[in-house]
Amino acid sequence: MKIETKKSWLTAIVLLCLSALTIGYLATVFLAQRQEEPIYPGPGVTEIKMLSDWYPGLKDTAGDTEVYVLKGAKEGDSMLVLGGTHANEPSGLVAAVLLIENAVVEEGTLYVIPRANNSAMTCTDPQEGAPTRFTISTPNGDRWFRFGSRATNPVHQWPDPEIYVHATSGQRLSGSETRNLNRAYPGRTDGNFTEKIAYGVAELIRQEDVAIEMDLHEASPEYPTINAMVAHEDAMLLANSAIINMALEGVSIGIEPSPTNLHGLTHRELGDFTDTYALLMETSNPSQGRLRGRTDSEMVVTGKDKFYVKAAEYGRLYVPYDEAGHPISMRVARHICGVTQVAAAFNELGLGNLVMTNIPSYAEMEGDIGPYLAPPAA
Amino acid sequence: MLYIYLAIVLFLLVFIVWNMIQEKNVLLQIDAALVVVPLVLRLLLIK
Repeated sequence: MKIETKKSWLTAIVLLCLSALTIGYLATVFLAQRQEEPIYPGPGVTEIKMLSDWYPGLKDTAGDTEVYVLKGAKEGDSMLVLGGTHANEPSGLVAAVLLIENAVVEEGTLYVIPRANNSAMTCTDPQEGAPTRFTISTPNGDRWFRFGSRATNPVHQWPDPEIYVHATSGQRLSGSETRNLNRAYPGRTDGNFTEKIAYGVAELIRQEDVAIEMDLHEASPEYPTINAMVAHEDAMLLANSAIINMALEGVSIGIEPSPTNLHGLTHRELGDFTDTYALLMETSNPSQGRLRGRTDSEMVVTGKDKFYVKAAEYGRLYVPYDEAGHPISMRVARHICGVTQVAAAFNELGLGNLVMTNIPSYAEMEGDIGPYLAPPAA
Repeated sequence: MLYIYLAIVLFLLVFIVWNMIQEKNVLLQIDAALVVVPLVLRLLLIK
């Protein structure tokens, strides 16, 4: 079909105006994703620093991110909790926020990075139809949180190579993994943007002599490493003791040894390249799975999906799943329970001293984490 | 690398708009108007 015009410049101007309107609208939508959710520091927060305080190469970049420091009155050992390594695994972010807003450290220091890959919080994964934010109800109003991408925003790191070669091991992965923070450790100063973020985290651990590192993740219900704690071999005793403690709290969790031939991950490289006990936790998140249906804020929060119910009936999942779903309260409670019990096991085994209080128990949070999130500012 | 990429985007954008003004077929002009949208968002490093 052909529609001719004699005044092509006039139609071009009209169409360009329509393009400009569309660009204006879309720019508003995409730029809104760069807005960070509010976090209200609790009574235990003694300082808020930036990751660039440990690696200045990140200053004034999208990779720089807040580090909440909860320092106890007594000297002791330290723990680093990472949320938001993968920004489409929201219970890590929410668990980190809950620690910031509640935990009080009596002995030692707790470092919490809620948005480990800050850049990944500013976009969503293409063709996933994921929401850009989700809302959790609290007794005093709704709190919103960012739902982002598994990987660094391509606006901040581009192009992807055909093959991503991990710097210290030579491991070859698909090109898009070059923007995956949990394939970039231990990081390097002359590497790509994501490797520099990883280097910043590793530097924090080295400079502050962080004893325990816990990276909070989620996995889709059809993924085998789920409801598990993954431990570097040096941290295996600590992890074993912690999961026994968790079982006593009513949390069933498996333990997985960190594979020695899978590189770039926190539980492998931070254990190899620093002196920390490197651990990673996984909960079950249907909103990132391949079998899910419509993905919206409600699904992220309730963890309910009828297609996963069907998949469970066919025996295709690695976790029990029914109409009750896997709500974010339960997933966050698992993470918090893991952090608490790792610290307890660390003390019980005589590895050091890290005493934290004012953290709600699994039983208190499992049904509803809303009461443990600070009221939203008016 | 970034500046080379942005230069390529700008180069394409200028030629597409130029061709759009010259083009007599309205449907092809609409095609060009659609292509302009992602290119401008890319050029401004918004998406």
